[in-house]
Amino acid sequence: MSTIIPIGPFHPVLEEPEYITLNVEGETVVGADIDLGRVHRGMELLAQEKTYDQDCFLVERICGICSASHSWATSLAVEDIAGVEVPDRARYLRTIVHELERLHSHMLWVGLGGHIIGYWTVYMWGWKYREPILDCLEAITGNRNHYAWYRPGGVRRDVADEVWPMVLKAMDEFDAQVDLLTNAILDDPVILGRLKGVGILTKEDAIAYGTLGPTARGSAFDVDIRRDEPYGAYSEVDWDVIVQDGCDCLAVAVVRLLEMKEAVKIIKQCINKLPDGPIAAEVREVPRGEGIGHVEAPRGECFHYIRSNGTNMPERHKMRAPTFNNIPSFRPRVKGETISDAVLIFAIIDPCYSCTERMAVMDSHGERLLDYKELLRLSHQKTEEIRKHL
Amino acid sequence: MSTFLREHEMSKRVIENLRTQFGDRVDVYERSDRRYYVTVSNEDWIPVTRHMYEEESGRLTTASGSDKPTGVELLYHFAIDRDGSVVNIRTLLSKPFPKIESLTPYYPAADFIEREIFDFLGVEFVGHPDPRKILSSHDRPADFHPMRRDEQ
Repeated sequence: MSTIIPIGPFHPVLEEPEYITLNVEGETVVGADIDLGRVHRGMELLAQEKTYDQDCFLVERICGICSASHSWATSLAVEDIAGVEVPDRARYLRTIVHELERLHSHMLWVGLGGHIIGYWTVYMWGWKYREPILDCLEAITGNRNHYAWYRPGGVRRDVADEVWPMVLKAMDEFDAQVDLLTNAILDDPVILGRLKGVGILTKEDAIAYGTLGPTARGSAFDVDIRRDEPYGAYSEVDWDVIVQDGCDCLAVAVVRLLEMKEAVKIIKQCINKLPDGPIAAEVREVPRGEGIGHVEAPRGECFHYIRSNGTNMPERHKMRAPTFNNIPSFRPRVKGETISDAVLIFAIIDPCYSCTERMAVMDSHGERLLDYKELLRLSHQKTEEIRKHL
Repeated sequence: MSTFLREHEMSKRVIENLRTQFGDRVDVYERSDRRYYVTVSNEDWIPVTRHMYEEESGRLTTASGSDKPTGVELLYHFAIDRDGSVVNIRTLLSKPFPKIESLTPYYPAADFIEREIFDFLGVEFVGHPDPRKILSSHDRPADFHPMRRDEQ
């Protein structure tokens, strides 16, 4: 007979809303169910009421970590419909910001990974090294996050030449820090003990479940949109796709660590080869038609489909973040593992619920069931009840 | 750099195979050499989508459902990865109760994707092993689907 153990409605470590029910026999997990839907914001519906330029701002808010990926994918979809050729300088600038985003996202995960396995040094190191990357992003785009950088046709602002030496210096320092961190992690028997052989996802399962990004590449499923359908400047710089065949949690972590080295390589080459010229092409009209834009976000492929009816607003804007495809792979991964590893196995895909869910809580009359005041009232009520018991 | 140059031969072969196997039952629109839109009837839906996964190794990236005046449209996006192209399979379901056979028993990746379309557009996927709503709130009325435009 199996026992049901609920984890949630907040992930114990990631402070993100999800609800997992584990079926366990003794210490062993025999089944799992995942319940989503706690951070819906109605983005797909909202996007149909915004112009294409406003859409780029809106989709940035899908997720604070991959805001560059979503707005780039949207721009690519609009450019696909309108047949716009993006200037060279814009392609390089877009690539630089995209790879800086990958660096800070992977470093964030390395920190959280350390936090999850109780290794606080890794957490402190990871987040310390992440900070200069955010400074670079601020120097280039004007903000640490939500860059408002991509628009259909190119980028929104030009960058002064004085910025690049500072970014190149930060990249050199970061490169050495990643080496240090990678060696420290891969040499540590405690970390290897926690990660190696835990949460096996075979290559067949990775393909069948349609996993993406480092989750797929850690299971030898070689998929990377940057190579498969080169966009931006990826076909003009020298880099490698990192694939590991370990199929366990360690392999995914190694993919992320080594990918940071590749991202540094890409950024340095892009800065050195950065062409002069205009930063955006003008998009005068978006004709009727359908367009697809997909980019390799830090967590995997980020897919946007836009259907235009000839007006300045999309008729349908479908957005799909990588986590939505990666979550189902949790089930084959967790089967046969112990309860203590379940939280780690779930975090290995670097889940992002804000990305996954994009819809608001509505009743049939379109009114919100719970607004801020109501939530505040409920919270006060609960505090009063607790106070009575004390 | 030469590894990036390609002629998109794989996706051309995929379209050719679809034409040989299904004849004029598939209606192909070539948007560019990397983007194909293929329209099929409801009866050919499972044979064509299964063919895309099992024979052509297409990866189901996601599916877009949308409500149109004529019915609910399903658009499954299959990425042909090493070729860098996307082949989209499209079918139109009749309203008010759209219904189609589920791909999930053959291809587990369709599980969440079909549940999302069921949730927001009310498409019934016959044979889906776990036909529950996925993203909207639990107290939403069972017959209300947020992306349907019937009331407008």
